[in-house]
Amino acid sequence: MSVPGWVFRTSILTSLSIAAPWLAAVVVTGFRRQVRVFGCIAALLSIIASTALVWRAPHGESLYETLMLLFSSLTLGAILLLPRRDSEAGTIAGILVLLGSTLLAYSTGNLLALLGAWILSIVPFLWAGWFRSRAWRPAVAVLTSTLALALAIGFIAANTKIFSIGNLKGQSPGGIAAFTLLIVAAICRKGIIPAQAWVADAAESGPLVPSALLLNGHFGALLVVKLIVPLFPETDHLFPILSYLAIATAVFVAIRALAENSPRRLLAFLALSQSACILSGLESRTAEGITGALVHWVVVTVSTVGLFAILRLLEVRFGENLSASKHLGLAQHAPRLAVSFAILGLALVGLPGTLGFCSQDLLIQGTLTTHPLTGLLLPIATAMNAVSFFRLFSRLFLGTHRTGFTVMADALPRERWILAGIVLFVVLGGLFPNATVIEHSSEVDVVDEAIPTFDNLNRSTGYSYKNSSGQNPSKPTIK
Amino acid sequence: MNAFQDILVFVVVAPAFIFGVFALLWLLDWVPSERLLSWITGLTFAACTAGVTALVWKIASARSITVTFGNWFAVGSYHFPSVLTVDRLSIPFVALAAVLSGLIGQFSATYLHRESGFLRFFLLLHLFAFGSLLAFAAGSFDLLAAGWEIVGITSVLLIGFFERRPAPVENGLYVFGIYRACDVGLLVGIFAMHHWAGTASFDSGFPTLTGARAVVVCLLLLLAASGKAAQVPFSGWLPRAMEGPTPSSAIFYGAISIHAGAYLLLRAQPLLAQSVLASSLVIMIGTATAIHGTIVGRASADAKTSLAYATLTQAGIVFIEIGLGWKWLAVAHILGNATVRTMQYLRAPSMLHDYHQMHSAIGGQLSPTGKQLEEILPDRVQLWLYRWALDRGHLDTMLERWVIAPLSRLSTYLSRKDRALSPTTIRPGRAVQVSTAGLTQRGD
Repeated sequence: MSVPGWVFRTSILTSLSIAAPWLAAVVVTGFRRQVRVFGCIAALLSIIASTALVWRAPHGESLYETLMLLFSSLTLGAILLLPRRDSEAGTIAGILVLLGSTLLAYSTGNLLALLGAWILSIVPFLWAGWFRSRAWRPAVAVLTSTLALALAIGFIAANTKIFSIGNLKGQSPGGIAAFTLLIVAAICRKGIIPAQAWVADAAESGPLVPSALLLNGHFGALLVVKLIVPLFPETDHLFPILSYLAIATAVFVAIRALAENSPRRLLAFLALSQSACILSGLESRTAEGITGALVHWVVVTVSTVGLFAILRLLEVRFGENLSASKHLGLAQHAPRLAVSFAILGLALVGLPGTLGFCSQDLLIQGTLTTHPLTGLLLPIATAMNAVSFFRLFSRLFLGTHRTGFTVMADALPRERWILAGIVLFVVLGGLFPNATVIEHSSEVDVVDEAIPTFDNLNRSTGYSYKNSSGQNPSKPTIK
Repeated sequence: MNAFQDILVFVVVAPAFIFGVFALLWLLDWVPSERLLSWITGLTFAACTAGVTALVWKIASARSITVTFGNWFAVGSYHFPSVLTVDRLSIPFVALAAVLSGLIGQFSATYLHRESGFLRFFLLLHLFAFGSLLAFAAGSFDLLAAGWEIVGITSVLLIGFFERRPAPVENGLYVFGIYRACDVGLLVGIFAMHHWAGTASFDSGFPTLTGARAVVVCLLLLLAASGKAAQVPFSGWLPRAMEGPTPSSAIFYGAISIHAGAYLLLRAQPLLAQSVLASSLVIMIGTATAIHGTIVGRASADAKTSLAYATLTQAGIVFIEIGLGWKWLAVAHILGNATVRTMQYLRAPSMLHDYHQMHSAIGGQLSPTGKQLEEILPDRVQLWLYRWALDRGHLDTMLERWVIAPLSRLSTYLSRKDRALSPTTIRPGRAVQVSTAGLTQRGD
C-alpha cells in the first residue's frame, strides 16, 4: 500500500507536528484521564512529522527541522520522566501547548505567526499560575519581551506592510527602533543581563520540567538567528554589545552560582550561564562560533532538561527540601540517577567524550577570535560553572551515609530508559560529532544568511569577517 | 594501517572499550563479579603491555608511529585532528601508563576486595588509563587536552571514592576547582596555537610560533602544567588528594597524573626553548616547588602525605631540568621517580609490618643518626620553618584568602541583593517538610 504524496508535503507535516500537541492539549483538558498517554501520542506524532521534515529538507537547510525534532523528542522524554504526582491534566496540557508553540516558532517564516507562538508559549505559565504571584520577575520578563516583540513587529509592519521574514531580509525594517525592541525582547526572554534574575525565580517557583522546557525553547536565541541577524545588516556596530552582555551574563551568573544552595536555582544559573554563551557564539561572526553556538544550543537543551527532570525525581523521592548546603548522600539509594546527573552536568560544562566538549571548543575558538579579551571570560565562566556543578553533585549525592530508607529509590525502568537515551545522545554525539549534530549545524542557513551580511559589512564599514586563523574568506567553508 | 598502527590504536582504545562495556552493563543492572572484573582488567593491561613492547621495539628503528583518523570535527578553517602518535618522547609515558595501570589493577583486586565501590574503582581505573594513554599518544594538543581532562575528572572522582565521608568529597571538589582553573590555560593556549600558527598538531612538526606569541603560549601551557603537577602555588591540593584509595594515590600522584604536567612541557619544549622568560619561569617554579616539597614533607605526619611531598620535590626538580632544556634527563628522572613512588605508595599501608619484619631480621631497632640538615639553622628559624611547613607553606591559606574568599563574598553579596528583590525565598512546589515524606514504594 503506497502512501499518498500529499502526506509528505512540508506544510502538511509542519501543521501536523504543531496541531497534534495542541489538539491533544484540548483533549487532555476535557477528558482528564490517561493524560500521559495522550501526551506521549501527541509528542510522538510531532516527532514523526519532524523526522519526515528533516528527511525532506534540502541538504544544508535542515536547522529548524532538526530543532523541531529535538524539541519534540525532549518533550516526549520529559512527559515520560514526569513523576506520577506531577502528571496532572493541567501540566501535560501546558507542556503540549508549549511544544506546539515552540514548533510553530521554529518553523514559521511569518512575523505574526512568530508573535503568536511567542505569546502561546507563555500562556500555560500565566494561565495556570506556574509563575507564582510572589515571584513577579518571570511574569514581568516574559510579558516585557512579548510587548517588545509586538511593538517591534508593529514598527516593521507600519514601515513595510510585509510580514514575511524572507522578504524583509537585509532591509533593516522599522529602523533602529524595531532593532532595539527586538534586542530587548531577546534579552528579556533569554535572561541576559539586566534581565537575568527571572530564570532562577521561574525554576524555583514554577514546576521544574515545564520550566526547563520553556527555558530551552531558546526563543531569545531564535529571535537573534531568525530576525535580528538577517534583517538588520546595517547595525553591525551594535551586535558586539549583545555579545558583551551575553558574556557578562555568563560570568555574572557563574559567580552568582558559586554560593547558591538551592538546587533548583543553582541548576537554573548553570543553564543560564551556559546558554548565554550561545548568543556570544552567534554574534562571533565566525563559522566556528556560529556552529559552536548551534551545537551548544542542542547540548544545553538536552542536558538541562535531563538535569531538571532528575532533580524533580529526587525531590519526589527524598522530599522537596533538598539543599546543597550539606551532604545528602543520595547516590547510595539512587546510583543510576546520580550517574546520569553527573554525565549530563559534565556534558553541560564540556567534559571530553561528550557533545559539550565539541560545542565548548568551537565556541571558545569563535568567541576568542572575535573578542580576544572579553572572550577569555568564556572559559573562565565555564570553569566556574564546572565547579558549581560538581559542588551540587557532590552535596546531593555524596558525602554521608544515609540510613532509614528501605525501599528502592533509583530510576524506575521507564525513567532509566529515557535517561539512558539522553546520556547516550550526549556521549555518542561527542564521540561522533560529525555524524550527529555538527553535520546538521554546519549546514545551517544561519551561516548562509549571515555571510552576505558580513560581505556587506566588509564593503560598507570596513569590518573584516574573520575565521579563527585570522584569514579573511568571503565565505567560510563548511566541511 | 600497518600492524604497529593497529597495535597503537588497540593500546589506547582497549581500556575505553572495557570501561564502556562494563558501564553499559551496570546501567542495565548487571554487576560483574570481582573475580571476572579483575581477570578482564589483568588481561586487558597484559595485552596493552605486550602491545607497548612491540611499539617500543618498532620505535627503536623508526622515529615515530602515527595513525591519522582525519578530523574529529571540522568547521570552517578550524579542525580538531584525530591523530595518535608515539615517538621517543611519548613511548616511555605510554609504557608507564599501561604497565602501572595493570599492576595497580592486580594490586587493587586484593586491596579493595569486598569494598562497596569495587566496580566503580575499576571502571574509573580503565577510564583513567584511557585518558592518560590518549594524552600521551595524542598527535595534537587538542587531543592531548581531551585525555588531560579525562585524567582530571577520574582523579577527582577517585579522591572522593569513599563517598560516605564528607572530607574526601570536599577535597575532591577542591582539587576539581584547581584543575579547572588551571585548565583554562591549556584551552586558551590551544586556541592561541590555532589562531597564530593555524594548527595545534605536533605529529609532523611543532606549530611555528615566535617572539611574544611563543611566550604567551608557553605561559598558558605552564599554567596548565603547574596545576596538574601541583607546582607552587597550586601545591595545596596534593595532600588533599591523599583521601583516595592507596592504589589510586599511587598511580595518580606517585606516577602518571603528577607527571602529566611535565609531559606537557616536554611536548612544548621546542616552544619553551625560544623563550628565556618562560624557561626561567619554569625553573623558578620548579625550584620553589622542590624547596616547598622538601620542607613541608619533613613536617608531614602521615606516610602518604610524606610520599606525596617527596614526589612533589622530585617533580619540581624535573621542572628545573625541563627549564634548563635537559629533556632526556627529565624523562629518565620521571620514569625513575614514578616507579619508585608507586612501589612506596603501594607499600605504605604495610609500612609498620615492613618495619617489624626489618627489625626482627636485624635483631633490633634501626638507630636514627639524629642528624638533619635543618639543624644548621638557628632555633628561631627552625621553629618558624616548622610552623610554615605545618601550614604547608600557607599556600592554601593564601588561595583561600585571596581567591576563594573574595569570590565567595562577591557571590554571597550578589545572592543577598538578588533575594532582596525577590520575595520567593520559601520552598517551591508542595511544601514537604520531612525529607522522607515523598518516598513511596515505587519511587514516585
